[in-house]
Amino acid sequence: MGAPVVRVEGLVKRYGGATALDGVSFEVGKGEVFGLLGPNGAGKTTTVEILEGVRAKTAGVATVLGEDPSDLKRGRSVKRKMGVLPQDFSAFARLTVRENLEFFAGIYDSPVNVPELIGLLKLEEDSQKRFALLSGGSKQRVGVAAALVNDPEIVFLDEPTIGLDPEARRATWKVISDLKDRGKTVVLTTHYMDEAEKLSDRIGILVKGKLAVLGSPAELIGRFGGSKTIVFKNGGDAVFGTLRRFFDGATMEGQDVVLPFENLRDLDVAMGALVGRGLDSDVALRQPTLEEVFLRFAGFRMTESGDAV
Amino acid sequence: MKLVVVFKAVTRNWLRSRSGLFFSFLFPVLLLLLLASVSSTPGVPGPAGLGAGYYVASVTAAFVMTNGVIGLTNVGSELRRNGVLKRLSASPLPKFEWLLGNILSQAVLALILAGVMLALGAVLFRAEYLVNFFSIAILVMGTLLFSGLGMTLAGVIKDPETASGVGNAIAFPMMLLSGTFWPISAMPAYLQSVAAVLPLTFFSEGLRDSLVVANFQIALTDLVVVTAFAVAFLLIGTATTKWSEP
Ligand SMILES: Nc1ncnc2c1ncn2[C@@H]1O[C@H](COP(=O)(O)OP(=O)(O)OP(=O)(O)O)[C@@H](O)[C@H]1O
Ligand SMILES: [Mg+2]
Repeated sequence: MGAPVVRVEGLVKRYGGATALDGVSFEVGKGEVFGLLGPNGAGKTTTVEILEGVRAKTAGVATVLGEDPSDLKRGRSVKRKMGVLPQDFSAFARLTVRENLEFFAGIYDSPVNVPELIGLLKLEEDSQKRFALLSGGSKQRVGVAAALVNDPEIVFLDEPTIGLDPEARRATWKVISDLKDRGKTVVLTTHYMDEAEKLSDRIGILVKGKLAVLGSPAELIGRFGGSKTIVFKNGGDAVFGTLRRFFDGATMEGQDVVLPFENLRDLDVAMGALVGRGLDSDVALRQPTLEEVFLRFAGFRMTESGDAV
Repeated sequence: MKLVVVFKAVTRNWLRSRSGLFFSFLFPVLLLLLLASVSSTPGVPGPAGLGAGYYVASVTAAFVMTNGVIGLTNVGSELRRNGVLKRLSASPLPKFEWLLGNILSQAVLALILAGVMLALGAVLFRAEYLVNFFSIAILVMGTLLFSGLGMTLAGVIKDPETASGVGNAIAFPMMLLSGTFWPISAMPAYLQSVAAVLPLTFFSEGLRDSLVVANFQIALTDLVVVTAFAVAFLLIGTATTKWSEP
C-alpha cells in the first residue's frame, strides 16, 4: 500500500465542552472501501465532515490525498478530487433532478456526463421532477449521483442507503462496489451491519468518539465474534429452564434460547434433555457475525436506525 | 464559468418559488398601478408634483430592497438549513463565486423589475424618465447594498424562522419611512430624522433624482452614500457567510 489516501491520527473534536471525537486514528489505502460503523452520536459524521473540509477539527491530524482539506488553497485542490454525500443530503428545492446534477457538474472542471449518471443511479423517471417533490429514496440517489459528478478519486458517503428500499439499496451497493473495481477509494458510514460487512475491506467501529476496533470483517468476526452458537427458536422459558441445568452458558435472546457450540456432544446432550421432557423447538447453528463483534465492543446492540438497545 | 452556473441555478430556483415571483414582480406592479392611478386622478397632485414617475422610482427601489432583505435572507437560510451550503463547501466552488452569483442574480432581477416598472409607468401613466448613467449606477449599487444586507442576516441569524422574521421587521418599516408612499418631508420631524439614516432613503431619492427629476447634484451624493453602504454590507455579508462549520 502506497501513501494512504486518508490519514487520521489522534483526531479530537470538541463542541463546546462536549467531546465528540476523542483521539481517533486510522488510515485508508488507495482502492480500499473503509466502513465507519457506529450508533447514533458516535462521531461518524463529525469524522467525515472534518475530512471533507467542511468542519474544523480541535486537534490531531486529518489529511486526504496528503493535504489538509481545511486549508484554503490546498483544500480546494483536494476537493476537486473528492466526492461527497453529506448526511441528510439536499439540493435546490425547485430545480429538477437533471438541473441540479447539471449545476453540480458545472462547479467542477471536468465533470462526467450527466445523462449517464442519471442512468447509473436509475433516476431516469425522476429526472424532470423537482427535487422537493422526490421520495426520500430518490433524493438520496440524487445525492449519490452528485457525489460522483466529478469522477472523484476518493468518495465520502455518509449513510448512503438510509431510507432506501431493499432493491434501491442493492443498486447503491452495486454502485459502490463498481467504484472499488475502478480503483476508487471509498469511506462510508453506516448503521447497517450487513452493509458494512458486505462492502468494506476494513471496518472501524466507532463508539462514543473512540475507535473501539479496526480490521477486515473476516478478521474481526474471527477474533472477536465468539464461538458458533446453537439457537432454539422460540424456545421460551421451558426450554431455557431445562437447558440451564446442563449449560451454564445458556442465555435468552427474546424468546430464543442460545447455547455456545463447542462440539457435537453439546448438541446431543441438549437434544436428549429436551426430548426427555417432551419439549420441541426449531434448532439452528449460528455463525458469529459482525453483530456479535459490535455487541462486544459497544456493550449494546444497535437497531437499523442506529439506536442502542 | 462557475459564476454563470451559480447564477442560472439560483435565478431559476428563485423564480420558481411562488413567494419569490410574487415579491419580485407581481406585488410591486400591483402597488405601482394602485399608487399611480390615485396620483394621476385629475385634481390629486402626485407627491412632490412628480405624478406617476415618483412611484415608478420609489416602488422599484422599495422592492429591490425587499428582494434583498426578505428574499435573499429566506433563500440563504433555507439553503443553509437543508445543507446545500454545506455540500457546496465540500466542493471546489469558492465562497466568493457563490456570493457573486447570487448578487448577479439579484442585479439582473432588479434591472428587469426596473424595466417593467418604467414601461408600465410610461405606457399607462405617461410618465417620462431620463435613463442615464446615474440611474443605472444607483440601481446596481442599491441591489448590491440590499443583497449584502440579506446575506448578512442569513449569515448571522442561525434559525431560518427568526431570520425571516427579522427580515420582515427591517424591510416593512424601512419601506414606510423612506419615502416610498409619501414624501419624507410630509412626516413629523422625529420620523424625518429616522428616515435620514435609512439606506433606502438614499437609494429611493437617488433613483428619483436621476430618473425623474434630473437633479444630478443630489443624485451624485446619493450614489456616494449608497455605494458606501453597499461596500460595508457586502464586506459584512461576505464575512458572516460561513463556508465551513465550527
Ligand atoms: N454542531 C454541533 N454542535 C454541538 N454538538 C454536535 C454538533 N454536531 C454533532 N454534535 C454532537 O457530536 C456527537 C457526534 O455527532 P455525529 O453527528 O458525528 O454522530 P454520528 O455518528 O454521525 O451519529 P448519527 O448516526 O446519528 O448520524 C453527538 O453527541 C452530537 O450530538
Ligand atoms: Mg451521522
